[in-house]
Amino acid sequence: MADIDKNNKNNNIDKNNIDNAIDNNKEEIKIEVKNLNFYYGDYHLLKDINLFFKKNSVCTILGPSGCGKSSFLRTLNRMNDYTEGSKLKGEVLLDGKNIYDKSIDVVELRRNVGMVFQNPNPFPKTVFENVAFGLKIHGIRNKQFIAERVEKCLKYAGLFDEVKDKLHKNAFSLSGGQQQRLCIARAIATNPSVLLMDEPTAYLDPASTATILDLIANFKKFYTIIIVSHNIQQAGRISDYSGFFLNGELIEFSKSGDFFTRPKDKRTENFITNRF
Amino acid sequence: MAKLNQKLKLKLKYKDDLFKFILSIFIFGIILIFITVVAIIIYYSYPAVSRFGIAFLWTKEWNPPKEIFGAATFIAGTFMVTIIALIFAIPLSLGIGIFLEEYCPKFLKGFFTIIIEILAGIPSVIFGVWGVLTIVPWLRRDIEPFFEAHFSNIPFLKVTENIGYGILAASIVVAFMVVPIIASITKDALAAVPKITKDGALAMGATRLDVIKDVSLPFSYRGIYGGIILGFGRAVGETIAVVLLIGNQAIIPKSIFGVGYTISAMLANTFTFAVISPIYASSEVALALILLLISLIVNIIGRNVLQKVIGGKLSRTQFGGG
Ligand SMILES: Nc1ncnc2c1ncn2[C@@H]1O[C@H](COP(=O)(O)OP(=O)(O)OP(=O)(O)O)[C@@H](O)[C@H]1O
Ligand SMILES: [Mg+2]
Repeated sequence: MADIDKNNKNNNIDKNNIDNAIDNNKEEIKIEVKNLNFYYGDYHLLKDINLFFKKNSVCTILGPSGCGKSSFLRTLNRMNDYTEGSKLKGEVLLDGKNIYDKSIDVVELRRNVGMVFQNPNPFPKTVFENVAFGLKIHGIRNKQFIAERVEKCLKYAGLFDEVKDKLHKNAFSLSGGQQQRLCIARAIATNPSVLLMDEPTAYLDPASTATILDLIANFKKFYTIIIVSHNIQQAGRISDYSGFFLNGELIEFSKSGDFFTRPKDKRTENFITNRF
Repeated sequence: MAKLNQKLKLKLKYKDDLFKFILSIFIFGIILIFITVVAIIIYYSYPAVSRFGIAFLWTKEWNPPKEIFGAATFIAGTFMVTIIALIFAIPLSLGIGIFLEEYCPKFLKGFFTIIIEILAGIPSVIFGVWGVLTIVPWLRRDIEPFFEAHFSNIPFLKVTENIGYGILAASIVVAFMVVPIIASITKDALAAVPKITKDGALAMGATRLDVIKDVSLPFSYRGIYGGIILGFGRAVGETIAVVLLIGNQAIIPKSIFGVGYTISAMLANTFTFAVISPIYASSEVALALILLLISLIVNIIGRNVLQKVIGGKLSRTQFGGG
């Protein structure tokens, strides 16, 4: 992505600060979650969550179904804003600024924090338009820049060779695995610094899954990545940090090496060993 | 015991077959009715069709004493009312559908939806009476004088007789009858857009309006299109409300304020007198044939569109997985 950034600067059309460079590495912590409590109406789901995500690291969130992993992920880009009756207390600091602050521009926040969903969810548009979508809604009109960016992002998502003849075909004509990589290309097109992924490989075949895991390993250079996963082996292999949620509480959060070999909490150990 | 079971099974089997048989009779009955309708209309319109030929479609005169009959004025009136009604109804219905599905607070949505369903079920004569009591005086008092003062040199907007009745009055009321149909189908089509796809756009920083424009409408346009076709079908055949409002004169309206006639209004008003002369009656049935053909064609188009929507949904779920 670095050359994309350079490209953009040379073009000097970066009105919306689409590319905030990744070079500013002095801050180690990208996201810090402080005393986060989250409610669906009266249902107190997430309880006193405290943790941080380091810059350019991969973190996996594990936990049984219904423990609040997806809900937690959605608090990090304020997708919970759209859930009627939901309520949040506490802070989520992104680069030191609370994203729930009144002064925060949600559109800019989401540009900076990309999200990939459990099911591939391409828009009812062409392959090209899917990747260009983020650029368009963030006000970029330069056709040549968009075209170059789309190609780069598709290459980066390992999809370009497969779709270069289908750029102007409907995205639904791609296979499930291709669609998911398209969604990844779409998410990185606006050059975010954080990528949230909610079980991105849950419905994919092993080959597509392997491709996407390779991508994630590569992406670490450019993004802070937070993945929700059900696959413990996968998590151990690709992530630097792992967190274990149970009934809306964060039971354990540590470097993946420690997490998987010497879990501090009995419940974490049970969860890991039951699944292995 | 086994024997008893056997008997019971036989009995059930017999019942099942009887049920099937009765159902088949019903189905046959429906097909028979359809064929009879088409056949009778064709049969009785034949004398007029063979006498006037295809020129029946563009002959403007309708003169029973001279036995000259042509459908042009009625076809013109029918299409004018239908098209103007749809011009009013489509934006209004899309607006209502989009509002209900994308913006309306939950507690109001149910209430509005019920209102729309009730509106769709109100007998059309009531709409007609309402139009005579409200739309006609309003056009006569406020709208027509205004247009006369400001737009009298624009041909299609010229006010000839300031009476309130005419194409516009009929179109407005027909529009109100069509809005519930298109609006509720629009709402349903938008509701079928997968939440995860909308979330995908929101998660990229799209505004609600971006989502509607770039995700929801492209996803559901076929369904909405189908709704418009159904609305067209309703508008083109609407009778009683039009009889009460259009002015009922067999002329080709030169302005939206002019009076006119539609095929259905003409039939409702005059078919009972037409029996006095065979060719008169046959010409009226030929009008019915034209209306029948229009509605069949529109229905077939609409049906194909709806089928494609369902097909599209199926193929999408294949990709989507769980
Ligand atoms: N919109 C909502 N309104 C009310 N309750 C909700 C809503 N979304 C989720 N919940 C509830 O919150 C709890 C956590 O849901 P969440 O989707 O975050 O779990 P998860 O850990 O991602 O589960 P899974 O592994 O099955 O995806 C569940 O009990 C769920 O029923
Ligand atoms: Mg989940």
